Amino acid sequence: MSDRPQPDGAPADTRSSDPRNIVAGQFIVDPSRRLIDAAGGLPAYAATSRRGGLTPLMAIAVSRNAPARPQTLVTGTGGIDGLACAVGHGMGPPIDGLDTWYVICEAPAGPPLSHGLHPWPEPMVIELVLRPLAAVLEHLHERGWTHRAIRPNNVFHSQPNRPVTLGAAWAAPPAMHQPAAFETAYTALCHPAARGDGRIADDVYALGVLLATLGLGRVPMEGLDDRAILHRKLELGDFMAITGGDRLPPMLNDLVRGMLAEDPDHRPTPALLRDPAGARGRRVAARPPARAQRPFTLGATTVWNNRTLAMAMALDPEETLTAIQNGQLMYWLRRGLGDSGLAVKLEDLVRHGVQDVVTDRTLANAGLVMRAIADTDVWMPLCWRGLAMFPDGLGPALVAASARPDPDGGASPAELSQKLFEIVQTEAQGIWAAMHEERTPSAPQRLEARQRRAILQIRGPAGGLPRLGYTLNPLIPCASPLLGDRWITNIADLAPALDAIVTASPNAEIIEPHIAAFIGARSDRVLDQAVKALVSEADPTDRALGALRLLAEMQSRYHPNALKGLTAWVVARSPPLVSRWKNRGRRNEVEGTLKDLAAEGFLSPIRDLLEDHAGHEADSEGLHAALADLARLDAELRDIADGGRRRGALAARLGQEIAAGIGLAAIATTLLLAAIG
Amino acid sequence: MAKAAKAGKAPGRQAASGSPKGGVRSVVWLSGLACGVLAAIAPGVAIVAAGLLAPGFVALKLDQDPGRPMARTVLTCGLAGCVHPVITLWNTGQSFEAAMAIVTDPGVLGVAWSAAAAGWLLTQLAPLIVRAGLEAAAIGRATRLRAARGRLAEEWGIDPATGNVPGQ
Repeated sequence: MSDRPQPDGAPADTRSSDPRNIVAGQFIVDPSRRLIDAAGGLPAYAATSRRGGLTPLMAIAVSRNAPARPQTLVTGTGGIDGLACAVGHGMGPPIDGLDTWYVICEAPAGPPLSHGLHPWPEPMVIELVLRPLAAVLEHLHERGWTHRAIRPNNVFHSQPNRPVTLGAAWAAPPAMHQPAAFETAYTALCHPAARGDGRIADDVYALGVLLATLGLGRVPMEGLDDRAILHRKLELGDFMAITGGDRLPPMLNDLVRGMLAEDPDHRPTPALLRDPAGARGRRVAARPPARAQRPFTLGATTVWNNRTLAMAMALDPEETLTAIQNGQLMYWLRRGLGDSGLAVKLEDLVRHGVQDVVTDRTLANAGLVMRAIADTDVWMPLCWRGLAMFPDGLGPALVAASARPDPDGGASPAELSQKLFEIVQTEAQGIWAAMHEERTPSAPQRLEARQRRAILQIRGPAGGLPRLGYTLNPLIPCASPLLGDRWITNIADLAPALDAIVTASPNAEIIEPHIAAFIGARSDRVLDQAVKALVSEADPTDRALGALRLLAEMQSRYHPNALKGLTAWVVARSPPLVSRWKNRGRRNEVEGTLKDLAAEGFLSPIRDLLEDHAGHEADSEGLHAALADLARLDAELRDIADGGRRRGALAARLGQEIAAGIGLAAIATTLLLAAIG
Repeated sequence: MAKAAKAGKAPGRQAASGSPKGGVRSVVWLSGLACGVLAAIAPGVAIVAAGLLAPGFVALKLDQDPGRPMARTVLTCGLAGCVHPVITLWNTGQSFEAAMAIVTDPGVLGVAWSAAAAGWLLTQLAPLIVRAGLEAAAIGRATRLRAARGRLAEEWGIDPATGNVPGQ
């Protein structure tokens, strides 16, 4: 730790004068004072509170691809001694020119335990580490939270011979940065972003590994990659893998053995750990898993028992499918492991799979393997085509799936995205939960799976994976390519951002899937309905009107200030809407009004003008009358064009009548002249 | 009764169907009878009328149109030319010699026949003049209608060629 924040006093004028450096209206962040190793590997900066206070603060920068934990930030984690509590969050000073979002936490008073790691005496481990951290975990457990970031670089020294403090765990998804050694095999198997909140027993496990680390003076299995650590835990058992066969002090040895129990129900609770002697005496004799007489090779794993079999199935799903379909696995289960019950279950799965001719074959096979894994080991996470995750980790996993591809290789976000889509689409979460019915009720999980699928199935830009991602992660920024690196987390900020975009790029199409999904997820029902309506508008004109309605609602509800860029953008796209008026005079009038309204910067009057139902009805009636008049005129013109013969006949008749009349007039005239004499 | 009704109805239908021909034939016969009576009672007038109205009788023979409009006009015009000679004949005692003198007078004959010729010319020119007038009126009206149609189409955005509204 190169630079510790100073206790609060008068903040430097230069920092406090820059509004960008103020987070949540209260905390002043100094981006020039980075705190090394103060946040368990996450970048942190010195911060102070405007209200003063004796506790030094730090601002942890949140990664765009690793969302902060919303529940703990919204409800607050304050009031727990020995824990770096979150006291605020929000946008802060940009780092390297990029918008940055911060979680404000209490800063640690000393360096992390990972600095100068050496074997600790047993009493110090128990008094300075176990008891205080167990108290913290007990408080968290009482609030229904987990920490999921207990590791040597996130537990900090305070004063000499004083209890250690637990670092912050709120600025990243649960357990995302945990080394595999500090996680159970089940969570270590998961995608780092999809480990989920877990349960307090997972924190107890990590605390057990921490105790072993301090007792041994070294990080367990340091230098091994995650897969090697996983294999080692499977082969040797967690305790042996962690200690590596080295002896721990007797009491610590017993405590750690209990805390590393493979069954989470067998681990001591935090309350029990506050009394180490009592916890030591509570030895739960777990029945070791049945070991096969001969091994079964599945992929790269040699399987001896159900636990290793489930892990191997999760790691090599294709090999697993082949082994299930050709019956080799069931044969081994009966003859090698002696688990006929599991063999029968797997045969039932195959039989049902054959009968299912509706589901896509790939999805059906993935579902079969997922069920087989869950049947084999009830503690296994949801495993889908090589991806392991816990359902409450879906939100952060979706964010990871929308990240830019890693140039160094690794899992492709597109592949991850596809697997997550399949999991939600098939409601695999509900199926997976139903297979653990005897341990936890599955109804809430099934309901949640159905709700998630419903969000996924919302048609058009209002739904799909982006919408689900924004719904499950209320703090992540909008990932629209149009917004670039801007950090927009709410609609009120989105409106001016869109205004700036269309001002710079008038041809930009701003109603794209990410922005629509973001608005739908972060707004109220009215705006959500407007987003959903976008898809039902097949006609381009109606779509344009739908976009106008959406933007107008967004402005009136979330940003009641002028947005001249957006109004100009809307007016530039209004000709199809204006052309809905057929009367040229009215159209010219509307165009003129639109220009005036664009200059004012408010979208609602533009929407009202273009939507004007009464005006459109009158226009439509006028058009029908005009068409009727036109038809009448055409008929008359046709009549004139076709009336030559009729006029000829009329002319002949009239001409003869006129001639006859003239003849009679001639007679009358001559008679009159004769009479006159 | 029914038989009687049928018997009474049949001649009526026959008369109706043969009425025009029968009527014309009756007029011819009555005209011939009248001429015979006129020739017998007033032979001078008959001679003058026969001589001066000869073009009218020719026209009556040649004109086959319904109502014989051309013959009618030629006859009326010819009659107008006969009024003065008939008065002259009347004043000179209606003798055969006076009638022959009038009929053979080239001046009288020329006037009467010229009147008949003028009548014929009138029947030829009057329809043409009326037709020209009607055509001019029709052209004027069509021009006004086209202008109104163009204004209507322009005002409501209607395609003037097809009469359709773009986008509908």
